[in-house]
Amino acid sequence: MSARPKYSIAGSTRGLILGLALSMAATGVFTVPAYASGGDPTWQPQASERLVKLPASYIKRSLEQDFTRSELGQALRDIDTEIGFKSETLTDLQAAIEASEGEVRTDLRHQFLVEKREYIELVSRKIELRRKAMEKKSGVLEKLMKRMGQQDAELTPIRRELIERQSAARARFETSISGVDMELLETSVAPESKYSRQFASNLSAIDSLSRAIEQHPMSRGPEVDGVPVTREDYVRQMIADAQAELELIGQEETILGYMAKLVALDATALSEEVSDAELIDSDTPEGESLTGAVKFFVGQ
Amino acid sequence: MSKSISKLCRRGTAALALTAAIGAFAVQAEAGTVENMERERAILIETLRAADMEANERAGKVEISRHRLVDLERMVLRDDSLTGRNTPTVRRAFANYDLTFMVHSASEQQVAVIDVWLGQLGLTTQTLMSASKGRR
Repeated sequence: MSARPKYSIAGSTRGLILGLALSMAATGVFTVPAYASGGDPTWQPQASERLVKLPASYIKRSLEQDFTRSELGQALRDIDTEIGFKSETLTDLQAAIEASEGEVRTDLRHQFLVEKREYIELVSRKIELRRKAMEKKSGVLEKLMKRMGQQDAELTPIRRELIERQSAARARFETSISGVDMELLETSVAPESKYSRQFASNLSAIDSLSRAIEQHPMSRGPEVDGVPVTREDYVRQMIADAQAELELIGQEETILGYMAKLVALDATALSEEVSDAELIDSDTPEGESLTGAVKFFVGQ
Repeated sequence: MSKSISKLCRRGTAALALTAAIGAFAVQAEAGTVENMERERAILIETLRAADMEANERAGKVEISRHRLVDLERMVLRDDSLTGRNTPTVRRAFANYDLTFMVHSASEQQVAVIDVWLGQLGLTTQTLMSASKGRR
């Protein structure tokens, strides 16, 4: 056994284990380590005008980039690294416990419990940060949805009527343009105008360019499960995803609670084991009965 | 080093995108299609109404105006910047297709431009023939 015991099993250790068990049982995992910057890491996404006007497929990317750059995003990455290190420590300790025996084994078991407690604290912290991030994301998406709705509602009846009239006029123009061209060609003696000629050639250039834009991978419209959807549908899907993530975080909290409970039970069991061993090794005489002392008083 | 180069590239790309966007908006900012059309239309109506004009002279002027109005009307109809622009000029322009886009409407209906205009004012052969003299 190469690992050196860091603690000696004594009354103080027993107290420590009991303390660990009690703290896990009573308070669970609510000890929150402070973030490196001193305060609580934050992320303040805004349903800005820019975000409202962004193409739907960019909204998600923009939010993710904003989160990555935020203090909260940085804190989550840091905590992920810490959890990774802690997992490695736990794996090493578990292997060391299996290879050790006696007092060293008890020491390592105690250390293992302490590390498990710290692991749970870290995961708890991560869950808390993830919940915070998801709540922020969900909130900003709700605001975004509201603002998008407001933009539609901003159309006054007069403006809406104007847009309808313009659409109708353009539709009428498009359906009649070939007939009008033919009629003008027949009746007019003047040659085709520069605008008409240039417009036709420009139109074919515009068509080919707009086709290229449509086919460009970066201009692909929003999709949900490969099905093209509207902007509103896409944002609604993002809100639903955030809600699903929050629900899963709640489930993970339950898992973590059970983990904490197990650590508390393990700590109680270890404390009792240590207590029993100390009692066996101690020189304190076992409770002698009074009848045993009778021999000192009779037969003199 | 590579980080700063990529940062510079990103900034350069962003600046390029911004310039392109500004350029696009600059093109859109050129307005006045409705006003140009309205001016030409007013000249055409003035020509149609002019009492002191020879028939040939009128026909020549109408033909020039008509030819010019074909393009101007199309410019208005194709002008995306007018969509939803809630100004009195634009509202009035799209309030009545036949009255605003007279040349297209006339070609569509295969009638003379003056017929479309008078028809929109309620002055048709039928209404004139059925009119009766009387005191108001």
